[in-house]
Amino acid sequence: MNNRLVINFIPGPTTLHKMTGGTKVLLFVLYTIAVIATFDIRVLLPLMVLPLAAIVSMKPNYKPLVFLFGFTFLTVGVIGSVMLIAVSPDVGMVHVGSHTLVMQITESIYVTKETLWYILVTFVKRTASFLVVIAFALMTTPSEFASGLNFLRVPYKICIIVSLAYRTIPDIAHRFIDIRNSMMMRGVELDSRRASLGKRLKYTGAMLAPLIISSFGRVESIANAMDLRGFGRHRKRTWYAEHELTRADRIMRAFAAALAAATLFYIAYFKIINPYPVTMWCPFVSPENITKTNVFDTLFFLKWFD
Amino acid sequence: MENNQVKKKGIGRLLLGEWKTATIVTVGIGAALYGVLMVYGGIPVFTNTQLTTAMIIPVVVGGLFGPLPALVTCGVGNVIADLIGGWGMWFDWSIGNAVMAFCVGLLPVYGAKIREGVFNVKHAVIYAVCCILGNVLAFGIVTPVFSYLLYASDLNITFLQAFAATLGNSSVLIVIGIPILILLASRFKARTNLSQEKSNDY
Repeated sequence: MNNRLVINFIPGPTTLHKMTGGTKVLLFVLYTIAVIATFDIRVLLPLMVLPLAAIVSMKPNYKPLVFLFGFTFLTVGVIGSVMLIAVSPDVGMVHVGSHTLVMQITESIYVTKETLWYILVTFVKRTASFLVVIAFALMTTPSEFASGLNFLRVPYKICIIVSLAYRTIPDIAHRFIDIRNSMMMRGVELDSRRASLGKRLKYTGAMLAPLIISSFGRVESIANAMDLRGFGRHRKRTWYAEHELTRADRIMRAFAAALAAATLFYIAYFKIINPYPVTMWCPFVSPENITKTNVFDTLFFLKWFD
Repeated sequence: MENNQVKKKGIGRLLLGEWKTATIVTVGIGAALYGVLMVYGGIPVFTNTQLTTAMIIPVVVGGLFGPLPALVTCGVGNVIADLIGGWGMWFDWSIGNAVMAFCVGLLPVYGAKIREGVFNVKHAVIYAVCCILGNVLAFGIVTPVFSYLLYASDLNITFLQAFAATLGNSSVLIVIGIPILILLASRFKARTNLSQEKSNDY
């Protein structure tokens, strides 16, 4: 479990690590919005370059990253696509706007070029989102996360919630493993091959009760310690993790402003003023040949009412 | 009239929950528990959908502090689960889970005061109904809408996942949730059951 954890608790040595929390959170939020805003592969691919460069520049431990990416690829990429083709093979019609048959498997299951394109675009989008999350998780410590959120004018009590939660994860993970091991020693079977689903559900309940009670049992003492140090007395607070801006900060903040302006322009121009007829641009479908489909016509359960 | 106003204010306050330092710490620890259980404590059923035990956390937080703290726990917890799980941000499901947490955390609003040891059969039935309705609202309406708008997910797949999530979450919430609520209520009752004795023995 420990080598699966990518989040970072110790301030790192590289330039990106040394930026202030405000810059990191700002970049993360803007970048996530930018990735969500577009379905155009010509925009998504260049957007992926920067988080990738950031990850490489931080010299992380690649083992958990590769594992995580493999996991995402398997669930979202492979299983998701197979299910998609099985459940609604003509999804390319809705989002890309045309129908070119490649392979007919049975009457209701077939592969079209557009569906494959749709799968590619959604996967690129998920990967971009994955890279942004990993880059952010690698460079940010809990205190920087909290101070960065406060920099974005989030009320500081919410920031403290985030920082507290982030900080207690290793503790809770340890306790979770301890309780699970001791339960297994007492003969509680959690292996799916040897226990039925109902039994596992019951045993999981037996395991959760001590975890919840022991974790929430510490609330009073932490809250008292915070109260004694004057938490919540004033409307504002300062942050230990917030420091003077470095050169990288200035560059990145300028970049963030440019990115925000570009995203705003993109949304205003390509989504509102001059929208593309369907969700996704595709190289082998010219805009004149696009047929629009109403999404509600494709829902399988609405067909039952006809 | 006056009585009515007091009652309204009471419900508003119950919906908001009370935000003192203990609430903040509980929500923080709850979010961490939620994140850890979401990533490591699930029994996979379907892509993106697990029979996840993390759903118990908003119930506990809701029972102790009310629906809004439960909502914040679930929202922050989901973002944290996405960060430590590293599968990218799924805001559509985060928002859906937060809405569900609000419905599940309504416990104090209909009178199940866990902290005073009050949780009986009537509350359990209302709780079960709230769980199912909250899941249907969150995963049947909120998640598909955001899923379509933010990620252009195929709605057929999303509805299938939502159906699986509703079934799985409801079963976890009812099968594990009710015993844990009874356990917590009895623990709090054992602690708070002090009554003033009217005697002059000493």
